[in-house]
Amino acid sequence: MIRTLGWLSVVALVAGLVMSFGVAPREVTQGTVQRIMYVHVPLVISSYVAFIVLAVASFVYLLRRDPRADRVAHASGEIGVMFIGLGIATGSIWGKPTWGTWWTWDARLTSVAILFVMYVGYLLLRGSIDDPERAARFAAVLGIVAALDIPLVHFSVYWWRTLHQPPSLMKPGGFTGSTAILWPLLVNLVAFVILYAYLTARRARLLRAEAEAVA
Amino acid sequence: MPDNWSFVAAAYGVTAIVLITYWWRLVRRERELDALRNRPERRTSRQS
Repeated sequence: MIRTLGWLSVVALVAGLVMSFGVAPREVTQGTVQRIMYVHVPLVISSYVAFIVLAVASFVYLLRRDPRADRVAHASGEIGVMFIGLGIATGSIWGKPTWGTWWTWDARLTSVAILFVMYVGYLLLRGSIDDPERAARFAAVLGIVAALDIPLVHFSVYWWRTLHQPPSLMKPGGFTGSTAILWPLLVNLVAFVILYAYLTARRARLLRAEAEAVA
Repeated sequence: MPDNWSFVAAAYGVTAIVLITYWWRLVRRERELDALRNRPERRTSRQS
C-alpha cells in the first residue's frame, strides 16, 4: 500500500510538472515567475491538511491513548512542518521579483510564520520529554491548540490589509481565474496531497519500528 | 515584467532538494533499523 502511494505520488508529481511548464500558459502580468504558484499553493494547502490530520489524531490519542494515533500525529507534524517551511521559502522566492522584497511583516506572512514556529515547537516538545507517554500527551494538547491558527492564516487576507493576494482556490465563490491555470493547480494539489499521505505513512511506520527497537 | 527563470528554478529546485533529502533520510533510517533487527538473529544462528 505504501509502495503504491509512493509510485502514485511520483506519477502525480511528474504530471504536475508537465502541467506547470507544458500546459499552463505564461501569465500576462507576472510572466513565467507566476509558475511558482503551482508548487507554492499546493505546499501550503497540503500543510493545512497535515496539521488538521495532526489535530484529529491528537484528539483521538487523548480519548483512547492509542499509540497509532500518536504516531500519525507525530509523522503528520513532521511532514507538515517541512511543507509549510517550503511554502514559506517558495513564497519568499516568488515575492522578491513580484513585490520587490523577500519578506514583509503583513498579516498573512506573520500568521504563517507563527504557524511554522508553533509546529517546530511541537516537534521540539516531543523531542525534549523522555517519557514517550507524557511527550505524546503534551504534544497532543499543543497540536490541537496550534491548529486554531490555521483559520487565522487563511482568513488573514480578508481581515487585514495585506500585501499578499487573496486565496486562489479556497475562497467564497470558488476559483475565478482561467481553467488553463486551474487544472495545473489542481493536478499539483492532488500530487502534493498524495505525497503527504505517502511520506506520513512511511514516517509513521518508521516510528513504530523505532519504538519496537527501543522496547 | 521579465520572466525571472532563475527564481522559478530556485523555487522548484529548493522544493525538490528538501523533499528528496527527507525521503532519502527515511529510507536510510529504515535500512539501519533493518540491519539492527537482523544482527542478533545472525549471532544466534552462529552460536547454535
